[in-house]
Amino acid sequence: MKVRIRRFDGQKEWWQDYEVEAKPFTTILDILNYIRENLDHTLAYRHSCQMGSCGSCGVVINGKPALACQTRVGELKTDTLRIEPLYNYRVIRDLVVDLTDFVNKHRSVKPWMIRKNPQELEEAPSEFKVTPQQNLTFIQFDYCIMCGVCLAACPTVAIDPLFIGPQALAQAYRYIADPRDEGFEERIDVLDDSHGVWRCHFAGACSYVCPKGVDPAKAIQYLKKEILKFRLLRKRKKAVPPAEIVQKEPPPNAPKPPPFDFKFEGGVE
Amino acid sequence: MVEENKRYKAGILRSLWPHGFNIERYTYTLHRITGVILALYLIAHVFEIFHVALGPAAWQQTLQELGSLGIFEKIGLWIIAGSALYHGANGLRLILNEAFGMLLGKPVLPEYPYMPTSLSRSQKIAIYILTAIVVILWIWAGLYLLEGLGIV
Repeated sequence: MKVRIRRFDGQKEWWQDYEVEAKPFTTILDILNYIRENLDHTLAYRHSCQMGSCGSCGVVINGKPALACQTRVGELKTDTLRIEPLYNYRVIRDLVVDLTDFVNKHRSVKPWMIRKNPQELEEAPSEFKVTPQQNLTFIQFDYCIMCGVCLAACPTVAIDPLFIGPQALAQAYRYIADPRDEGFEERIDVLDDSHGVWRCHFAGACSYVCPKGVDPAKAIQYLKKEILKFRLLRKRKKAVPPAEIVQKEPPPNAPKPPPFDFKFEGGVE
Repeated sequence: MVEENKRYKAGILRSLWPHGFNIERYTYTLHRITGVILALYLIAHVFEIFHVALGPAAWQQTLQELGSLGIFEKIGLWIIAGSALYHGANGLRLILNEAFGMLLGKPVLPEYPYMPTSLSRSQKIAIYILTAIVVILWIWAGLYLLEGLGIV
């Protein structure tokens, strides 16, 4: 099959064509690896885990941003592949893009647990209890692997590079929805901004291309709802306090654990 | 130099090109385009209304001109009517999504093949219903304008 790759050497851009044999289950990353090993050693691209976990190999395949390791030739239903670097990012070389802005945007929403009393995190007297039902309200957004594919698909980032973007906003909602977090007021200045949630017009392209099912569009709409509720009604959920650990006595007929008897037989002389 | 790479920002054409994406992306493009049409119409409308300030004679003349529009002006009005209908109806859907969190589904544990619930069946049904209503009303608006021309 014919593979067209958008090349960039720091000075100029051009399309380069390659002829590659591919089967329906061949992934785009397999094709890139084949090209670099056999046809053109100068081709630059990122990859690591080859199983959709690390989020390194995001590229645009036939106009749609996706992970190269998870996209198979058969599902594209075409004889010609067009591979480009992710849109809306500064290209460093060939298919390698600069993720500095992306990471800075992620950092700007403070994607970590915030408590009003930081002592509770430093010297927690016990764990913070979260029920399975509460866990379901944010666990979906915790699956983000930071591949950056959603920003490449977002039509708003295409015209406003200052827009925080779906990835960072979904991560903000992940912590805001977490019952252990108390950082809503700390994050709201970044979120409730002309380049924050209100710049999103719900095209849904981010959710459509997300390789992990994170659904950032949903998180952003929920964020808007939370911000409106806070601004109009001054209403916020109450965070859970650290739970008290209650040492329970085992039932009388519970089996006793086996005695600890372990001898280490290996070792270095 | 790397900093001069023009592909840093994909640009307005890429932003408005929905091919190969989900149906919500098409509604986004149409919403933006109809929004621009309505904004331009609003400027023209304010300019028209401004003739009131020039006295009764100027206002009467404006009303006479508006009463005898040609076919191209009527087509223009028909496009504006369609823009207002679509922008309003889709805007109501977006208000339901954004302010009330409706039609989005609940957060779920992602499972392969990862179908986002915010782009689920209820969202699509809402889009199809609003499109059907807009098309019917737009056809009715077209017939109303053609009647004014004596064609229907």
